[in-house]
Amino acid sequence: MIDRTLSSTALRTYWLGRYLERAGSTARLVSVNANLIIDLPALLSLGWMPLVQILSQEEEYLSLYGDKKNAGTSTANRNERENNEKSVVKFLLSDQRNPGSLLNALAFARENARTLRGSFPRGAYEHINEAYLSAKDLLQEPLSRSRRTTGLQDIIGHLDLINGFLSSTMLHNASWQFYRLGNFIERADMTTRLIDLRTTNLVKSASDLEPFTVIQWRSVLNSLDSMQNYTICMQNPVNQEDVLEFLLQNDDLPRSLMRCLNTIRNCLRQLPNNTEPLELVNNMRRQLQRARVRSLKDDRLHKYVDTRQKQLFTLHNKITNQYFPKS
Amino acid sequence: MAINWKTYQADNVWDELIAPNGRARKGGAALKAALGKLDDSELLERRHAAELAIRSMGITFTVYSGEGSDTIDREWPFDIIPRLVLKSEWDEVTKGLIQRVKALNLFIDDIYHKQQILKDGVLPRQYIDKSKDFRPECMGISPPHSMWAHICGSDLVRGGDGTMYVLEDNLRVPSGVSYMLENREVMKRVFPELFSDYLIHPVDDYTTELAKCLRSLNPNSTRSPQLAVLTPGIYNSAYFEHAYLANAMAAELVEGRDLEVGKDDYLYMRTIQGLVRVDVLYRRIDDSFLDPEVFNPESALGVPGIMRAWRAGKVALANAPGCGVADDKVIYTYVPDIIEYYLSEKPLIPNVPSYRCVEKDHRDYVLDNLDKLVVKPANESGGYGMLIGPKASRKERDQFARQIRANPRNYMAQPMLNLSTSPTLIDANAEPRHLDLRPFILSGANHYVTTGGLTRVAMRKGSIVVNSSQGGGSKDTWVVDPQ
Repeated sequence: MIDRTLSSTALRTYWLGRYLERAGSTARLVSVNANLIIDLPALLSLGWMPLVQILSQEEEYLSLYGDKKNAGTSTANRNERENNEKSVVKFLLSDQRNPGSLLNALAFARENARTLRGSFPRGAYEHINEAYLSAKDLLQEPLSRSRRTTGLQDIIGHLDLINGFLSSTMLHNASWQFYRLGNFIERADMTTRLIDLRTTNLVKSASDLEPFTVIQWRSVLNSLDSMQNYTICMQNPVNQEDVLEFLLQNDDLPRSLMRCLNTIRNCLRQLPNNTEPLELVNNMRRQLQRARVRSLKDDRLHKYVDTRQKQLFTLHNKITNQYFPKS
Repeated sequence: MAINWKTYQADNVWDELIAPNGRARKGGAALKAALGKLDDSELLERRHAAELAIRSMGITFTVYSGEGSDTIDREWPFDIIPRLVLKSEWDEVTKGLIQRVKALNLFIDDIYHKQQILKDGVLPRQYIDKSKDFRPECMGISPPHSMWAHICGSDLVRGGDGTMYVLEDNLRVPSGVSYMLENREVMKRVFPELFSDYLIHPVDDYTTELAKCLRSLNPNSTRSPQLAVLTPGIYNSAYFEHAYLANAMAAELVEGRDLEVGKDDYLYMRTIQGLVRVDVLYRRIDDSFLDPEVFNPESALGVPGIMRAWRAGKVALANAPGCGVADDKVIYTYVPDIIEYYLSEKPLIPNVPSYRCVEKDHRDYVLDNLDKLVVKPANESGGYGMLIGPKASRKERDQFARQIRANPRNYMAQPMLNLSTSPTLIDANAEPRHLDLRPFILSGANHYVTTGGLTRVAMRKGSIVVNSSQGGGSKDTWVVDPQ
């Protein structure tokens, strides 16, 4: 059977998948970081700036909020820390000027969903629209911390519902594969970013600070909604070696790099003319299977993760060239 | 508190639900009684429920905010009190509408072939020569079934004596049908119990009929033709509708950049697998933007070469290019003559009496009576560019008089109609508001008329402007059998 999915529909569907995944990641990042800050002693606190770094948005952030010097470092005083929390949270969640803010990601997703009404189940737009409208209502005013936490949970709930809804109602045709490609490329990207950043900023492992590095790894697991799964799969207290193996190589974990690559491979297999991107993804899988990620540390870890990110970017480009409209 | 029917009064106009003696018209008693049983909070709750449904279903329309390309996406304005039409009356209207589109299609086909109607002197040739929507590029083309205007939206209004008139025929890219369908969905969510009191004829077969109509135009020998809906894009005021219809017909929703015409003159869409042929294109962009090779060369919305494909008979376009020639408000004034000329029948639904500014005696009358008349430009839609004489200022009327003198061909005038009213929920009470009705008529291998249509209502007291872009709302339209 000929697949009639328009190139432009494939493009929008892919980005819908990315935007929705990104919105969820951002919501989880912010709510987990709030907990991390509570758990770490003020002296060790990394503040809020790392979230901006994880998302590679330092430049945008500093151009908008840059006058606050030393913002977010542990040397900043209490007042500045709080200001910093306010502006980073605003920047990440609701700032219209930040194209990557949660609200903008949802707005873009909604806009894409609106153009996709022809090829998506009708209820999908309603759910995405609801997610956007409730986020907009919630984020209109500055939020108290407790309101923020429950509000972000609501948004995450909406997003989970959208994925569940699509999975159980949408035809699992080419459009669905593009949606999932968007989801999982974005997800793989986020998982590797989190590992990268938390390792560069990791408290240097003097033995008396050991508990706090554990707290940081826990926060990475929490940001990926994977703490409970870690306990089940690894049966070990949280430690760097196990976390790395778990987040990179465990094939059962929905947010591990391996799982993402496997899903991406499965999606591509359902699509026509898939040779180039499929080849790359298969290489990435083989490399990941063979890698001894447990022993990666410091600079080598950073380089390893950095290479994965570059490969993901190449994969995105290959998919773009193969399927999307030439602009 | 509840709706106070005792104080409900439609002043000197026909009310669709309440007769002058204060009782419900035939078929309306159950609705009047059911509404009367709701107290204020129940009424407002229902209205709120309707607003929520519209919001979450994402039923929107886009308003141009004036300057530049800024647009606002608004939720669809909806009144929860339905407008009733008796089935027996609707059957008559249906016959009249089919008569009308048959004649209009014969007229368009004649204009692009022999032009017999001009030769016979029934219609002066200058009206065609000077029509903005006459397309010489269409001369000699014979579309399938000789049908040009496949989708027509005719606006019906009812005057003070209860007579139903055709106010205008929209033959280019008429919109609104998706709102007709959505209004019914909203009503089912909001007033489910009312549906058990009535036999309300369903409206939802429209999209099936539209798909059937489009398939009947297939020029290629494929068993199941590929349908596509061409939209100008997400910022068009009717984008919601384009997506809605494409979805309901399982047609592809495409923009110009998704399409190309091959060296073989077939129309193709760009898919992830390469080019796939399109057999029938329901285009929702105006002629002038359709093909930059033939019409407006600046158009980025259209498809270069699509006129070539159409003329070669390799793709069907609905509506056919050039059919706007019958959608001219001056041509409108001749529709009764057109019906008699081609069908040898008397028109079943009358036109609103009209004056042609290009004819001297008509023009003199119009200029002398601007304060009593509604003056409309020949080729505008959406209620733009018209003068409502009785409500206009002296200055506005003088300015319009100058415009008419400068370009009389471009204007026609009609007496200000006392549009009928129907009870509309204002705060927690029912008040009369003016309305019209837009049914949709399909013409392919067969004809089809919607059951009822889109009722548009002027929400402001006394206003007769029903366009949603200018503060109009809408109602569900119930074609009912009397109990």
